[in-house]
Amino acid sequence: MNQQIRTIADLDRVIHEPGRLMIVALLFAVERADFLYLQHETAMNKGTLSSHLSRLEEAGYVAVTKTYRGKVPQTLLCLTRAGRKAFEQYRRNLKEAL
Amino acid sequence: MDQIGDLLDRPRLYYNIDGLGELGGSVTCLGFAVLLWLLIHSPADSVWHRISFFAFVALMLLIHYGTKAVKTRITYPRTGFVEYRRQQQTAAIAAALGALAAAGLGVVFRRHWDISMLASLAGLVFAAAYGYHFAMAVRWKLVIAGAMAVASFAIAFLPADVLGALGSDSSAAHPDRAKLGGTILISLMVYGTMLLISGGISLWLYLRHMPVPAQEGQ
Repeated sequence: MNQQIRTIADLDRVIHEPGRLMIVALLFAVERADFLYLQHETAMNKGTLSSHLSRLEEAGYVAVTKTYRGKVPQTLLCLTRAGRKAFEQYRRNLKEAL
Repeated sequence: MDQIGDLLDRPRLYYNIDGLGELGGSVTCLGFAVLLWLLIHSPADSVWHRISFFAFVALMLLIHYGTKAVKTRITYPRTGFVEYRRQQQTAAIAAALGALAAAGLGVVFRRHWDISMLASLAGLVFAAAYGYHFAMAVRWKLVIAGAMAVASFAIAFLPADVLGALGSDSSAAHPDRAKLGGTILISLMVYGTMLLISGGISLWLYLRHMPVPAQEGQ
């Protein structure tokens, strides 16, 4: 296996999925955002977005905080330090592979 | 990779999705214009000269908290909440540009350089900054950026006596000082009005196309 192919094989599969890649890239650029923002920007339905967020939370890449905006429940999301590092590494690997 | 870059740029563009970035800029420009006009045209011992600093601080606070309040009531319930990362680099660049502009004005005034040239240059920089920050995301705003660039030249070619009359309350004032005051005053009014129109249209379109979703929580 040459170096380029090895780099492709090393890509983080949690982040590499297109839906999750969108979420991580959007969260990377902000301190935190709510569920509605991600839904608006990614155009995913609630179920799909929730499932991707659960997967990212399991991997330790996203931290989820449940709070209230007035009387309305609000879900705030932010990338953890591990999530930021993983995304930076993913971008480096992708650049090398391309 | 470009698509990832686009995604990373989305939150920056989201800041003005409702036009409030432009409306904030408009209130800043028009507020400064009013303050400057009061400083120029009121007597030296008037109350405006004593409270101008406090009026400036009040204007800044109004823009900061006003924008926050409107976003909380209009934007966050419709398209979501975003807390931006603190970018010290951006603040440092803004401070450096401000210092450079102040130094440039000081040099121009002391050496009696042509203020019209400086006005068109500053206007072009303003139009370019507007184009980068707002018009790249929404194409129709390129018309506003173009109008700003044209306005910067138009202001530079205005007769000196018109600018002098705007920038001074007496004929005894130094002509360069009066022309500089008039140029700044009319530039603030023109750019403030353009931002008001552009931001107003953006807000209207946003409210029209983004209804408040049912409040079922997230």
